[in-house]
Amino acid sequence: MAQCVQSVQEFIQDSFVPMVAVLCSEDAEKVTRKNNLNFSELLRPFCRLTSEGHMRDPSNQLQVVKNLRISVNNVVTRPSVPSSGVPGHAHRRLLSEVVLTCQPAEGGVANVITAGDYDLNISDRSLKASVPWYSDWRDTLTELSTSKHYTATTPWFEAYRESFLQSMPASDHEFLNHYLACLLVVSSSEAVPVEKFLKLSQEQHRIQHSGEYTNPKWFIPNTLKYYVLLHDMSQGDEQRADSVYEDMKQRYGAQGCYLLKVNSRTAAAGADEQIPDPWSQYLHKSSLQTPVVVNNTAVENNVGGTSEVDGHDSEEKGSLDNTHPLQLDTPSDTPGSLDALRAVAVETKPPPLTTGVAAATSHGACLTLNDHDRIRLFIQEFTFRGLLPHIEKNIRQLNDQLVSRKGLSRSLFSATKKWFGGGKVPEKSIAELKNTSGLLYPPEAPELQIRKMADLCFLVQLYDLAYSCYHTAKKDFLSDQAMLYAAGALEMAAVSAFLQVGAPRPYPAHYMDTAIQTYRDVSKNMVLAERCALLSAEVLKSQAKYSDAATLLIKMTSEDSDLRSALLLEQAAHCFINMRNPMVRKFAFHMILAGHRFSKAGQKRHALRCYCQAMQVYKGKGWSLAEDHINFTIGRQSFTLRQPENAVTAFRHILTNDSQQTSTQQGAFLREYLYVYKNVTGACEVALPQLPLPCINSSATRVYFGHERRLAEGEKQAATHVSLDQEFDRDLAAMWQDLEEQVVAAAKRGVVPATFQSTQCCLNSQTDNLRFPLAVVEEPIIVEVVFRNPLKVPLVLSDLSLLWKFTLKDFNRPQTQEDSVGDAVPISNEKEASVPRVRVCVTFVSINFFCLIPLCLLPQARLKLLPHQTGQLNILGLVYNLGTSVRGRQDLEIQGPRLNQTKEEKTSVSHGPDRRLDPTITPPMPLLEVFFLQFPTALLCGEIRKAYVEFCNMSRVTLCGLRVASTHPDFFTFGSSSLATPLTPLSPTSFENCSAYKTLATPPGATPGSVAAVTLVSEGDFGSGTGLRGGVSGAGTGGKGITEIPLGEGTLKPGESTQLPMWLRGPDQEGVHEIHFLFYYESAEKGGKISHRVLRHTVFICASRSLSVRATACRSNTLPEEEEEERNGSMLVFVDVENINSSEAGVREFHIAQVSSSSKQWRLHKCINPAEDKDCKLTSRERGKLCFRATRCKPLQAEKYTFADLSLGNELIITSTTPCADFFFRRCQPLESLRPPVAMETQGRHSRSQGVGHGGGDKDIAGVVRKCNEVDLDIIILWKAFVVEDNKQVILEGQLHVALQTIDKEACSLTPKEEAQEMVLLKFKPELPPPMTRPSMEQLSHLIKTNLQYPESYSHPFNQKRYLCMVPVTLTLSNCSLAQVDVIIDLRHKTTSPESLEVHGSFTWLGQTQFKMQLGAQEVMRVQLRACFLHAGVYNLGTPRVFAKLADQGAMCETSQQTATPALIIIINST
Amino acid sequence: MAVCIAVIAKENYPLYIRSVPVQNELKFHYTVHTSLDVVEEKISAVGKAMADQRELYLGLLYPTEDYKVYGYVTNSKVKFVIVADSSNTSLRDNEIRSMFRKLHNSFTDVMCNPFYNPGDTIQSKAFDSMVSAMMVQAS
Repeated sequence: MAQCVQSVQEFIQDSFVPMVAVLCSEDAEKVTRKNNLNFSELLRPFCRLTSEGHMRDPSNQLQVVKNLRISVNNVVTRPSVPSSGVPGHAHRRLLSEVVLTCQPAEGGVANVITAGDYDLNISDRSLKASVPWYSDWRDTLTELSTSKHYTATTPWFEAYRESFLQSMPASDHEFLNHYLACLLVVSSSEAVPVEKFLKLSQEQHRIQHSGEYTNPKWFIPNTLKYYVLLHDMSQGDEQRADSVYEDMKQRYGAQGCYLLKVNSRTAAAGADEQIPDPWSQYLHKSSLQTPVVVNNTAVENNVGGTSEVDGHDSEEKGSLDNTHPLQLDTPSDTPGSLDALRAVAVETKPPPLTTGVAAATSHGACLTLNDHDRIRLFIQEFTFRGLLPHIEKNIRQLNDQLVSRKGLSRSLFSATKKWFGGGKVPEKSIAELKNTSGLLYPPEAPELQIRKMADLCFLVQLYDLAYSCYHTAKKDFLSDQAMLYAAGALEMAAVSAFLQVGAPRPYPAHYMDTAIQTYRDVSKNMVLAERCALLSAEVLKSQAKYSDAATLLIKMTSEDSDLRSALLLEQAAHCFINMRNPMVRKFAFHMILAGHRFSKAGQKRHALRCYCQAMQVYKGKGWSLAEDHINFTIGRQSFTLRQPENAVTAFRHILTNDSQQTSTQQGAFLREYLYVYKNVTGACEVALPQLPLPCINSSATRVYFGHERRLAEGEKQAATHVSLDQEFDRDLAAMWQDLEEQVVAAAKRGVVPATFQSTQCCLNSQTDNLRFPLAVVEEPIIVEVVFRNPLKVPLVLSDLSLLWKFTLKDFNRPQTQEDSVGDAVPISNEKEASVPRVRVCVTFVSINFFCLIPLCLLPQARLKLLPHQTGQLNILGLVYNLGTSVRGRQDLEIQGPRLNQTKEEKTSVSHGPDRRLDPTITPPMPLLEVFFLQFPTALLCGEIRKAYVEFCNMSRVTLCGLRVASTHPDFFTFGSSSLATPLTPLSPTSFENCSAYKTLATPPGATPGSVAAVTLVSEGDFGSGTGLRGGVSGAGTGGKGITEIPLGEGTLKPGESTQLPMWLRGPDQEGVHEIHFLFYYESAEKGGKISHRVLRHTVFICASRSLSVRATACRSNTLPEEEEEERNGSMLVFVDVENINSSEAGVREFHIAQVSSSSKQWRLHKCINPAEDKDCKLTSRERGKLCFRATRCKPLQAEKYTFADLSLGNELIITSTTPCADFFFRRCQPLESLRPPVAMETQGRHSRSQGVGHGGGDKDIAGVVRKCNEVDLDIIILWKAFVVEDNKQVILEGQLHVALQTIDKEACSLTPKEEAQEMVLLKFKPELPPPMTRPSMEQLSHLIKTNLQYPESYSHPFNQKRYLCMVPVTLTLSNCSLAQVDVIIDLRHKTTSPESLEVHGSFTWLGQTQFKMQLGAQEVMRVQLRACFLHAGVYNLGTPRVFAKLADQGAMCETSQQTATPALIIIINST
Repeated sequence: MAVCIAVIAKENYPLYIRSVPVQNELKFHYTVHTSLDVVEEKISAVGKAMADQRELYLGLLYPTEDYKVYGYVTNSKVKFVIVADSSNTSLRDNEIRSMFRKLHNSFTDVMCNPFYNPGDTIQSKAFDSMVSAMMVQAS
C-alpha cells in the first residue's frame, strides 16, 4: 500500500487548517524579496506550532490544542478555481506537474511483499535511471527523504493529495478554508507606517465587504486583523522601528500587533555560512510555474507534440492513448504509432538548463538562525495571542446565538415547516435533485451559523463539539433538501467522528458514501467528491478495511480526469495487496489499468512503473496473452522514455515466447521490435547486439571439415565419403570406427596407438566432441546451423556470416614461450572494420538471402570458412540481417553431453565441454580423392567384374601408406602385389574377350576335362597376404580385410593420380549389399598433428542369384590303379550345379566353363563324366551333375596350394592367378576363421603326437578319427553366363567356391540361410558346456576301407567230379587314418536275418575265418581268401565283417566297419 | 450462455481458455486471471476441516459492468471459470450449475485419456465441442 508519511489523524488535521490572509505593503514586500520569498512564503516553514495552545470551549472547559498548523496565504482576489466543481486548466496542470516531479526515489529500500507464491517488489528501482531533470532536484529530494524516518511508497500520490487539498477552492457550503484572520504587514522603513496600516486595513475591509470580489471568502464578518511591522535589520533604524511598534501597541493593543525583525545578515557577510533552507521543500510544490520546471516537463511530455500535460490533450495523442486499456494495438494503427515513436526518436535534444535554477534555490539568504527563531516566535505569538482567542470568542458568540435561538426559533422553524411547508417539500426536492446549486442559503442563515460553528470547532480540534454541530446541521440541511450542504455536513461529521479521541462512536462510513454520491451525482462536483473519497479511503485504510477503500477508490475513477483515475486505481491496487489475504491478481490488474490511465495522462514514467509492477505477477505464469500485452506496452513506454534497452528486452519477450498471438499481431510485434532495435543499434556502435530471432537450435549445429564434393564426374564416380546430407547413424559410425581401428592397427603393425582417435569429418550432437577437432589449412570448414522460426510470420535473414576468433599458431616451428605469447593475439571478425586484415587468415562465405517459413525447421544454413593459416579457430556465432536492415548477432553456445560417470556427476547436473566449434587448424595434409570407373551396381552372385580405381592426391603434400579396409573384403581385389605368376604368360586373346581371367587356349585335340592342369601356388603370393600374415599368427580379426593398395612407388606425389584395376566378385548371397570401403593414407612428412586421414566410400551392390553348386566327396571303392604310388589316394567328387537364376535378370543360360580345385592335399584328377556334351549348359532351373575324380597331391607339395584346372570348354582359365586365386583366398579366410578353434587345436596336437607316439585321450582319438574323414578340398566352379542386354549378348563370368570338408557330406556354395537362428528361445540359464566330443560310431566306422577283388564271373564244371567251386578272393584293407589300427576280420559272421539263412545257395569261406592284424598309418594290406560255392548262381561276397579299433585304445571295443557295397559274383556252370 | 469458459490448473496457469468475441480475448484473460483472487478467497474462507464437504460451485465471483463471473473448483483445485453476459438475465444459477457439472464431466474425460499428460493444455476435440455448445453462438 501507499505507506504515508503522515498518520491518518495528522493528514486529516492538516487537510483542514485555519486560514490566514496576508496583505503586504510594497516596502514590506521588498524586504522579503531579498530572500527570494514573499511574506507568506517566508512564514510557511514555521506555520506548524511546536508548543501546545490552550483555549476554552463554550462550556468553559480548558482544551488543549496540539500540533496546530495554520496556513498563511496572500490575498488573491481572482478565483483560482471556478466554483463549478470542474477544476481549471491551471489547476490540473499544477497537479499533473506535482505528480510528474515526484518519482520513486532512487535506491530506496526495496519493499518486497510476499503474497502467496508471489514476491512483489513494489518500489522497484529499475526504472529510475536517467531522469533528465533529476539532478536539479537532487538536493531537495534527498533532503526530503532523509528528513523522514521512513519514505512513502507512493510519494507522488501524497504530493498530489497535498496540493489537491491545498488548492481546494473555497466554496459557499462550508467555511473550512475561509480566511479567519488577516495579517497586515508594513515595513518599518515606511515614512508613516501607521497610515499604511490604516490603508491596508481599509483595503481588507473593502475586499471583504464591498461585494466586488467573490474571492477570497471570509469566515466571519469581523475578521481578525493583526498588524505586523516588518523591520529590515540590515537597512532600517532599529530604534525607529521600536518606537513605531510602541505606537502601534498603543493603537491596536499588545495582542493585535507585532514587530518582526528580519534580514539580520548582510548578503555579503556570511556567504560561506551554511544556513538550513527550510523553504525549499515547501516551495517546490507551489512554485512549479517557474520557467525551469515548465521547461523540464515539456521535454518529459512532448510525446504528443505539445507541452500540455493533463487529460485535455489526450485527444491529440493519437490512437495509442484512446484505445481500451486491455486492447492490444491492432495492426491497422501501428503505422501511426510508429510515427509517434519516430517523432520521439527525432527529438533527442537535452533539456535546456536555465541559469535561474541556482537563484531559485537559494531562499532566505539574508536570514540568520536568529531570524528563523524570530519568525517562529512571531507565528506562535500570533496564533496563541491573536488567533486562538479570536476563534474562542467567535465560538462562544455563535454558541450563544444558537442556544438563544434554539428554544424558540429552531422549534418554531421546524414547526412552521411541518405545518405550512407540507406541500412545499416534495416540490422542492424534485427541483433540488435536478438543480442543486439552486438552493443557496444567505450567508447569515441560521443553518449556516451552526455549520460555521462546527467548522470553527473542527479547526481548533474540538471534535466532539464539531461532530454534534455537524450532525445537527446535517439534519437541518437534509430536511431542507439542500443536498450540497447536507453532503458537506455529512462528510465533516464522519471525519470528526473519526477524529474524536477515544472514538465514542464507530466511524460512520455510510455518511461518507452518501456524501460522495451526493457530490458526484447531485452536485456534479467532482473536486469535492474526490476530496471526500480521499479522506474516506484514508480512514478506511487506517481501519484495515482495504476492500471497502478499494471499492471506493475504484468508484471514483471516471473519464474526466485520467490523472486522478490513475492515481486512485494505483491506490486501489495497493489496497488489494494489503488485504489480509493479498489479492495479487487484482493488484496486478488494477496496476495495469492505472498504468493505462497514467499513460493517457501523459505520465509516461509512472505508467511504465505500473506496468512493470503488474508484470511481476503475470510473468511466467502461463498467461501469455496478458504477458504479451504488458511486455508490448512496457516496450513502447520504455522506448518513448528513451530506455531503448528496456524496450528491446520487453519486445524480445513477446517474440521469443511460444506466442499464441495471431500472425498479424506477431507481424506487428516484429515490425515494432525491429524498429526499436534499429534505433538501439544506431545509438550504440560498440558491438552487435544479440538478436532473439530466429531460434537457433545450437545443439543441432553440424560442422563439416573438408570440401564439398561432387559425387560424379563424367563416368567417374567419386567416393561417397561423408557429407552433410547424410544422416548420422550410430551403428554406421561405430562400424567406420571399427574399420579405421583395424586399418590403423594394420598400418602400425598390429598395435593401435593409445592416442588413437577415429577421424570425424562431420561433427554433430551425437559424435564425441570432447577434443578439439582438427582441420587442415586451406580446407574449408562448413558449419550448418539449424534455425527454428517460432513465429507465424516469415522471417527474412540476409547476409549471414560466421563470427569467429582466430589465434595464430605455427605448428612447424618448435613452440617456444615467446612464440606462443607473440602469436597469441586473437584476431576476430567481430568488428566489421577489422575484416580486411582478417581475410589473410580466414575467408568466409556468407549466405545472402534466407527466408524462414513460419513455424518450420529449416536446417539449411551452411556457412563456410576457409582457413589460410594454422592456429586455433573459435567459431563464436552468427551475424545476420533480420528483416531489411537490422543487423545483429547470435552466439552459438553448445552444451556438451550431460556427464554421468562419477557419483558427483550423477547427483548433480553438469555438462561436459563441446568443442565442435573450436577447430585447430593444422599444417597441410595430403588429401586423397578416389574415383571409380566402370563400377557396377548389380552383379550376379559370384560374378567377376573388372573395374578401375583412380587415386588422386589433391593436396600439395605427398601421400603414402595407402590402404583400404572394407566390410566385405571378399568383394574386391586389386590383384596380388607381387604378381609372380611366371607360369601363366599373358594371352592376348583374353583381353579381347574382355575376360577378367587369364586364360590359355586348350591345345586342339585334347579332350576337355580329361586331364587337369596343375599349378602350385603359395598363399602368401596373393593380395590378402598382408592381412593374413598378421592374421594367421593369432589375432585373426585385427588385420582381416585390410589391403595395401599397390601404388607405383608406394607414394602419390602432389597432384598426381594413378589408375589401378580392381576386380569385383558378386557376393554369394543374393540381395542388396551395402559395402563400405575405408581408404587410409598418411602424409609422407611425419610428425604432423594428424597421423593419418581416411576417406570413406559406400557402394550398394544388388546381387542376383546365379548358380547353386552342391558337391559331395566320396571314397572311391575301386582299387587303386596299378601305377598309383599313393595309397588309398583317390576320391570321387560329385558336383551338382543348378541354375537358380530368376529369368528376369536376362540370363539366358549358364555354361560351366571350368571346374578347378584348390587344396593342400587333394587335386582334381580328371573328369569322369559319362556325358558327351563337353560344355555343360544350364538354362533356367536346370540342374546338371558333374563327376570328378580327385587324387592326393604329392606330399612335398603340402605347404602350397595345388590348383588343378579342368576345363570343360575350349580355353583354360588359369585359376592360380589374379583374380581367381585372389578371390579364392579371400573367400577362405572367413571359412577358416569359422572353424571351431578346438578343431584347429586338435589337429595341431595330433600332428605333434604322431611323431612322438600315441599319447591317448579322447580328444586325440576324435582328432584322429575326424582326420581320417576329412577332405580339405575346395572346388571352384567357373561359369559363363550369356546375358541378353539391349539386344546384345554379353558374356558374364563368375566363379563359385565349394569347400568340401568331410567325406560324404554335402557342401554347398550357398551357405544355408539360418532362419532358425532368428527365433532362438530366450535362455535364462547359461548353456551347458557341450559334452566331451567322443567320436561317434559312424565316424569310427570309416577307419578302414575294404575292397574285395574277385573275378566277375567264374565258370566251373559242377557236374564233373568236382562239386565244389573254389574262387580266390582278395580282400584289400586300407587304413584311412593316420594312426595304427587293430583290425579283426571275421568271415564266419553270418547275416543275422533268418531269411538269409534259408537262402539256397549260400556259400562258405574256406580257410582261416578270422584274421587279426594291425595296420599302420595309411597302410594297405591284402588278405587272400577263398570262397567255396556249391551251385552256380549269383552270390554276394560282401559278407566279411571287419572290425577295427585304434591300436592304443585298449578299452575300446572294435567297431564294425562300413560294409562294402554288395560284391556280386556270378558262378557259371560251365558244362 | 457463456461468453468465456476457462479451465485453470491448480498452480493457476491456464489449461484452457476460450472466449466468443475473439477480438476481446485479452480482456477475458485478464478477467479470468483476476477472478482467481476471488476464488482463492472463497476457498480459504471454507475451513480446513470443512474442505471435504465443500460445495464445488462457488457461485458468482464478482460482477463487472458487462459480465458476471462464476467459479467452480474441483477437489483437485482445478478451477473452472465461466463468464456470462450481464445482460443475459435468463441465465439462472441452476443453469450455471449444470454448465459447470457438464464441464467437470468433460474435464474428467480428458483427464482419463491415457495420452493426456496432466498439466498440459487441453487440446481435446470432444472437450472443445462441448465447450462450444455452451458458448454464445457468435453470429
